[in-house]
Amino acid sequence: MLTVKMKRYICCTLVLLLTTAGVQASAQAALIGTQQVANEASVEVQRDELQTLFARDDVVQKLSSLGVDVADAQQRVANLSDAEVAQLHEQINDLPAGAGALGTIALVLLILILLDVAGVTDIFPKI
Amino acid sequence: MFTYPPSGLCTWLRHVPFFLLVLLLSGCVATPQTDALLSGSQPVESSSMELRDVPFFPQEKYQCGPAALATVLANSGLEVEPSDLVPLVYVPERKGSFQVEMLATARQYNRIPYQIAPQLSAVIAEVSEGNPVLVLQNLGIDWFPQWHYAVVVGFDLERGEFILRSGEIERRITSFKAFENTWRRSQFWGITLLKPGALPVTGEEKAYFVALSTYAEHAPEDEVFKAMSAGLQRWPDSKYLLMGVGNHYAQRQQLAEAAAAYRRVIELFPDYAPAHNNLAWVLGEQEQIVSARQHAAMAVKLGGPHLAQYRLTLRELEKMAGHDNSPGKQ
Repeated sequence: MLTVKMKRYICCTLVLLLTTAGVQASAQAALIGTQQVANEASVEVQRDELQTLFARDDVVQKLSSLGVDVADAQQRVANLSDAEVAQLHEQINDLPAGAGALGTIALVLLILILLDVAGVTDIFPKI
Repeated sequence: MFTYPPSGLCTWLRHVPFFLLVLLLSGCVATPQTDALLSGSQPVESSSMELRDVPFFPQEKYQCGPAALATVLANSGLEVEPSDLVPLVYVPERKGSFQVEMLATARQYNRIPYQIAPQLSAVIAEVSEGNPVLVLQNLGIDWFPQWHYAVVVGFDLERGEFILRSGEIERRITSFKAFENTWRRSQFWGITLLKPGALPVTGEEKAYFVALSTYAEHAPEDEVFKAMSAGLQRWPDSKYLLMGVGNHYAQRQQLAEAAAAYRRVIELFPDYAPAHNNLAWVLGEQEQIVSARQHAAMAVKLGGPHLAQYRLTLRELEKMAGHDNSPGKQ
């Protein structure tokens, strides 16, 4: 059982911790930190990678043969929110052979994902 | 390019049958990068190169991760042995090392790991400039992976070969084609280690900044600043690097320098809200409340993911404006 003294001690410590945390937060709260900027930069890197997928010859060919306007699709990538970019990036990441050079199955899956982005299909949730 | 959840099993060269299998398979898998290189359609500066001074640590058992990492760390002027790294990067249950831990350990030794572009030509460019490239290969196949870390130390364009420090072999010769196939299975994962202030030969601004900011989390401020300044030499208009430098100055209360960096960002990217916000903060510190409020209001107007923070800045500045002779500090 906690004695009254101990309780008081714990309370005082907590109050002290909370107040100092508050002071630190308000002193720094206003500056957008370098790590925050970096998060943006890494989403931009992912977005660029998605755009380069839409620029690949095999992908463009496939999508065009399916009636997708590639320029349109690229515009959609530009309009995706940061969270959507991250999610899409992860899906492509999980493809069997990676996106660098694709095996047949991976290419088909990639095309399916990109068709979702282009709004032709709706297989994958939330994109 | 795309990293993926690493499965750290690293293989060992005794699996001769797998090499035969890889050789067989490489005959029927397209290797567009190799084709481009060998046909000469992709311009490359030098036709051959071998970094003979790169140290060699023959790996023990499955420990290609520690051996390969020690190779590049020692090459960058550090006294490191694979045995120093085993507790940091080797996972006995997996008989291998995870990529994230390889990266974290490099940072711990004050080196910035930079992931190169997923191109054979990027490997060649880095090696040409004296930077060995640590690569992850899958020497097996997708459904029977044999993960392996090695270090590319040379190439010969005429013969279409790479030279690697690999496992127990000091000069392992691998054809471009086999290398492209085995490297592709790791999604072309390859890194060079940068001393703070050095730049990757094949680097790209945003990727460099992201690599740098991860390094910055646990690195001495001065080293981070050195690396950012070096980056700005090559990419003087990088908003990310300018923001980083501005933040560095702001945190040290070098307000004039900080303001100059943020103003430069705004000049280049007038709609970049974080620069307006941070400039407002600095101007507030300098007690230039009127222009500080203008920039804070601009940040709020532009909005974006940090809107709550911009509002806070604006509110604090308005509080300051409300008090006469406000000290300008909190």
